[in-house]
Amino acid sequence: MKMDELIFFGICFVVLALLLFYRLIKGPSAADRAVAADSMDILVDMALILFALYTGRSVFLDIAFITAILGFIGTTLIARYLEGKL
Amino acid sequence: MRYVIDAFIVISIFFALAGTVGLIRMPDAFCRMQSSTNIATLGVLGVIIGGILYSAVYLHNGEMAVKLAAMGVFYIVTNPIASHAIAKGAYRHGVRPDKEMKCDKYGEDMEK
Repeated sequence: MKMDELIFFGICFVVLALLLFYRLIKGPSAADRAVAADSMDILVDMALILFALYTGRSVFLDIAFITAILGFIGTTLIARYLEGKL
Repeated sequence: MRYVIDAFIVISIFFALAGTVGLIRMPDAFCRMQSSTNIATLGVLGVIIGGILYSAVYLHNGEMAVKLAAMGVFYIVTNPIASHAIAKGAYRHGVRPDKEMKCDKYGEDMEK
């Protein structure tokens, strides 16, 4: 049985991620932009998980995992750079 | 069972929406960081639990369920580290809250 509503839930997450472009472009400080980019990363991950569930292929899960790891590393690197220790 | 999975994912979408609105509407940088934590904890866990139930009950695919559980553990472990690091980095970079702070122990420690 296929649950077609998974696609619509994924579209909801992608729309939320697109809304965050406002903060990514306008954000007054660099920390705001980093936080917005990290949140967009997580939301797109959720859409990828829902797409993997819809199609039943676990390749998209691997992609989502890699994207999560890269987002964490990027956020931590930007934080270290802002701190002045890089 | 289908409605249970739908309920988990809808709860997750609600918390993601709350985090997004807070990230757009909150007044200063630290309020926005606090609101973005909403997305990475409760917004993730609903999808993870719903996905584990869906892949175990309907797809009969144990591999996907284990991968989803590993992703949930990864998110729960790494999100506080990233939030703490970015808040500390923003403070060191010179970002301050909008209102005057009553008590600033971290700033006093930093000056020593």
